[in-house]
Amino acid sequence: MSDHTFDSISEALAASRAPDGGFGPRAGLPSEPEPTALAALALGDGPARAWLEANQRADGTMTLSIGTVDNVASTALAAIALEGAAGRRAADAIADTRASRVPSSPAVPFNADLPGWPWTAGAFGWVEPTSMAVLALRIVLPEATDAIDHGTGMLRDRECVGGGWNYGNRIVLGEELAPFGQPTAIAMLAMQTADGDDLWQRGLATLRRLWRQEASGGLTLAVAAAALRVNRDDDATACTAALVETFARTRFLGDAVALAWAAIATGPGLDRLGVST
Amino acid sequence: MTDPFDRRTFLRRSAIAVLGVTATGLGVASYVKRRQVPWDREAFGPIPEARVALVRATSYANGLEEIVLDGLRAVGAEVRGARVLLKPNLVEYDPGTTINTDPRLVAATVVAMRRLGAANVIVAEGPGHRRDTQFVLTATGLSSTLADVEAAFVDLNTDAVVARRLRSHYTALRSLALPRSIVEADVVVSMPKMKTHHWAGVTLSLKNCFGCVPGRIYGWPKNALHKVGIEPAILDVAAAVRPNLAIVDGIVGMEGNGPISGTPVASGVLIFGNDPVAADVVAARSMNVDPERVPYLVEAGRFLGQADLERIRMEGEDPEREATDFTVLPSFAHLKVGSLAEPVPLPDAPG
Repeated sequence: MSDHTFDSISEALAASRAPDGGFGPRAGLPSEPEPTALAALALGDGPARAWLEANQRADGTMTLSIGTVDNVASTALAAIALEGAAGRRAADAIADTRASRVPSSPAVPFNADLPGWPWTAGAFGWVEPTSMAVLALRIVLPEATDAIDHGTGMLRDRECVGGGWNYGNRIVLGEELAPFGQPTAIAMLAMQTADGDDLWQRGLATLRRLWRQEASGGLTLAVAAAALRVNRDDDATACTAALVETFARTRFLGDAVALAWAAIATGPGLDRLGVST
Repeated sequence: MTDPFDRRTFLRRSAIAVLGVTATGLGVASYVKRRQVPWDREAFGPIPEARVALVRATSYANGLEEIVLDGLRAVGAEVRGARVLLKPNLVEYDPGTTINTDPRLVAATVVAMRRLGAANVIVAEGPGHRRDTQFVLTATGLSSTLADVEAAFVDLNTDAVVARRLRSHYTALRSLALPRSIVEADVVVSMPKMKTHHWAGVTLSLKNCFGCVPGRIYGWPKNALHKVGIEPAILDVAAAVRPNLAIVDGIVGMEGNGPISGTPVASGVLIFGNDPVAADVVAARSMNVDPERVPYLVEAGRFLGQADLERIRMEGEDPEREATDFTVLPSFAHLKVGSLAEPVPLPDAPG
């Protein structure tokens, strides 16, 4: 990985920095938790961390709220990005909450005892926020084994038939739904270093197939490259090369989240997503 | 403000409505009279004349631009000098079926709008299942098709947002995050794929408005909307977006287990409307679905647009004569024209 790649992507990401030190979802937009937390991780960025600390709620969560809807999913990223007590408060908030418990049904079967974590407070649990919660707990609060086991159990329950994940529905009305590259990559970040585990093996095999099929998507490539690198998979080099090529051609359409994941995948920020074993 | 309806209440009342239709023949009129008024009267004035054109179109390949131009003229679309936003249905990518509004129709509409004098035409969508918009945009071919007509695309999942107080109250949401591009457009055109839907019966221009709200707030899928009930959310979101025009892509639609896992059906029609409710009613009828049995369409007809087929000024073909019999899931058999099936309570959609 050349420093030039990381520098180019970081420069593009910097365009999304808002005057208050945080990062918006695109250049020129106000700061929000998710791009700010990702940028803090990618760049080791002090002002971004300061923005997160300033905007963390007393209960430890990071929210993006409109009306009655509170998106709390970025709390996990903030837990990893923040340092010290603030990061611990965010991790505690994750460990103490779960998604809403919704009854399973023949139409949409799942394990109702494993709701995982939601995008928005009080809602159903989905794969991406659950994966990020598991990753944050494994890094920041590894002693929260019940919560971690809950999350990995949920990911096992929602795994698509044959391996990998989509947003979080395995079967709907008898139809087996296909996995997608980006949520599979996020889940593989959460499942990292679980060598020998069948779920981990199926997930990696699926990710190796999907990133190639979905290589026109910058976000997919960026998260996939990060997941493959963290899992020390041989495909990481090819995936990163595809990431560099797509970035050079499209600059990921200015999506700060995709750029930040790409900066993480190609730079030193990836070390912060590694789980100690 | 009235109490919002949760999904179970909505379904129960909807079931009552349908039973009322099938058992007594009284239609929805007597049913709605008993209902509350879950919208601010001052925000929704009298429903103006609804004009809908149903046009035969059997191919995306040839002459689409002229067909779109004629369709828009037939419904009196006025876009001269306007900032126009086209909102296609671009939810997911599966090469084996027809989930999304066809890119060639979107491009033809861009050109037609310009020929009608639009000052600016952009295409915008916030995919609801796939978080990687760039992938969906590229894989579906929409990216290259828009490049051919030099039209800009806005990802509504990452656009600036404006908090809008809801003026209808079918859900407990109270306000909604709307992308600035939607709010600032003079004319919003909802361009759905004509599809059946496994939780709502049919998905057309009103349901297509779900794609207007940003996933970075509501999630992927936009489950904060599922949580408050899909049908009530369709009404509140559509009432907040208030599309000015509808163009329904029924050249090839989807039947069965839509909106993702259904089967393509060559229905060979395009439907244009200056009133999205009216366009959806005509589209439903052309799918051999009785719009009076689709609860959210009936409700929308109370305040948002014209749901009475008899009061819609029709241009072009007759939706009954041109109807293609779309297969629906057994749970929606009661929606079909002439069906004697009784409504079946659905399980809650996760969310």
